[in-house]
Amino acid sequence: MSNLSVTLNGKIGNLFLNFEHHFKNDGITILYGPNGSGKTTIISALGGFINNLETRILFNGSEIHDIDKYPPNKRPFGIMFQNPILFEHLTVEENLDFVLKRNQLNTQNKSLISKEYLINQLELNSLLKRSPENLSGGEKLRVVLARTILKHPNYLFLDEPMSDLDIKYKAKLLVFLKDFNKKFKIPILYITHSIEEISQIGDQIVLIKDGKKIDSGSVSNILNRSSFVDLTGKFESSSILEGIVSRHDKNLHITTLDLNGQKLVVPGLPGKLNDILRVRIRSRDILLSSSRLKTQITENELQGLISSIEIEKNSAFSELVIVLKNFKNNKKKQKLRARITTYNLKNKKLLIDDTVFIYVSSVSIDRQAYQSK
Amino acid sequence: MDIYYHLSSDFTAILITLKLAIVTCFFLALIGTPLAYFLTFKSKKTKPFIETIVTLPLVLPPTVIGFYLIIIFSPETALGKIFIILTGEQLIFSFYGLVLASIIYSLPFWVQPLQASFEKIGRDTIRTSYSLGANPLDTFFNVIIPLSKKGFFTSFIISFAHTLGEFGIVLMVGGGIHGKTKVIAISIYDHVEQLSFGKAHILAGGMLILSFIILLILFYFNKKTVVRVK
Repeated sequence: MSNLSVTLNGKIGNLFLNFEHHFKNDGITILYGPNGSGKTTIISALGGFINNLETRILFNGSEIHDIDKYPPNKRPFGIMFQNPILFEHLTVEENLDFVLKRNQLNTQNKSLISKEYLINQLELNSLLKRSPENLSGGEKLRVVLARTILKHPNYLFLDEPMSDLDIKYKAKLLVFLKDFNKKFKIPILYITHSIEEISQIGDQIVLIKDGKKIDSGSVSNILNRSSFVDLTGKFESSSILEGIVSRHDKNLHITTLDLNGQKLVVPGLPGKLNDILRVRIRSRDILLSSSRLKTQITENELQGLISSIEIEKNSAFSELVIVLKNFKNNKKKQKLRARITTYNLKNKKLLIDDTVFIYVSSVSIDRQAYQSK
Repeated sequence: MDIYYHLSSDFTAILITLKLAIVTCFFLALIGTPLAYFLTFKSKKTKPFIETIVTLPLVLPPTVIGFYLIIIFSPETALGKIFIILTGEQLIFSFYGLVLASIIYSLPFWVQPLQASFEKIGRDTIRTSYSLGANPLDTFFNVIIPLSKKGFFTSFIISFAHTLGEFGIVLMVGGGIHGKTKVIAISIYDHVEQLSFGKAHILAGGMLILSFIILLILFYFNKKTVVRVK
């Protein structure tokens, strides 16, 4: 397992950085925070491009922050910058070879990622002979990603790689990244603003604001925490639920998940039977009722206990945290955030420890297929 | 040098002019290229100061530079003495004096197009190259130079043409000695002074056509590149 610990202190531009984190996993770690919070600076410092910060980087037991001893070209990282650049005097294939020529020694002890594998996976075959100046944004991005990976880095840093991509290709590329990470065990540090991307590929997440770490942990935990909601704003507030795939209905094109004995129907046919699937439900898409509704307004009815109620000041809304009932009596608790009007809350006289019936339309479920185990 | 005396005086001037332009461009490539790189990527606080010095020849009258160079090149100065020890010749009124003067005079014409070209390539390209495992020297020769072909081409053409057209500074520093430091521009001046308009016409017309062709080549190729980028 790779071990990367970073300490950054100092002022850069208007930002005071005071960041410390120990990245300790081979999965995908998300770096999340508002613009100007220092995310890109962290990656630049790791790459050896910032020399006016007090920096300490410990990677797999060795100190590598000294820029004279470990200049950027000697660091074992693959970096994809926010504005990915291809060398325009070289063809696409020559761009890929550029990195191969310069990193022959690095590949000795690792499973070799072949050029052909990446050309296949990222559909680069028809681009190889072309000049980068004629590529579309999405094509360029795939080539840059392939080139970064071909370095055989010990850690991959991706700075908002998908921001210019259309939705269809984005989904494909996210699946590729997840598979690649699992297959080659190269850990990824991934900067993004998109909650979709986080819930789809993130294993761990680090929240950063004004140059400081606010919180960190597994994605399913952090996305349900208030520290995350504080960064995204209440409107984007959501919960991540994990369920086991119990049924695929190929006619209706829906999948039933088992959430500790409760059923949740999601659109599409993601995963395989008994896979653990992660879904995101936005707090504003949840309807609550103190008693079971007589008419089924949606396919999804869950039961839970209200564990906290927060009435927002100067706002029409209240946020409730609901612990889903566990009919299987295992210890796993799943929490759901719901955002309803305070008017609604008062009308229904909902109180802490009350049992509520939760209604969610499948339509609003973010079906980010993801098998965690 | 003696062979020049046997050739016609104007032909000698043409040869000297071309030799001066080529030698000057060679040294400009060696001096001006790292300077342009330094100005683009390395200097921060010193940048305005160095840029001012490099640009001064553009605004100063050639006679001002010529005047100071005469003083610096004179056999009494350290530079003048070293040159005499090395070559047995005076630096002032010598061909190499001309070369030195031309380098200084044409420096902005080499540095500025190249600096613009380097700036267009940008720091991100260099960072990308480093992060892919290329060291700074590798990056300079295999990324920056190939990417700034157009900049080099422009720098070369403009510096070459500019050196061809020098008058004031070469007259002051070189003295217009036949077969040694007399370039086309000075020959034309001499012909006009002696009212040999016919000879002046040939040289002046030749310069006009040559300069026209050189600039046409430059703009033609630069235009082509622009079209291709679209």
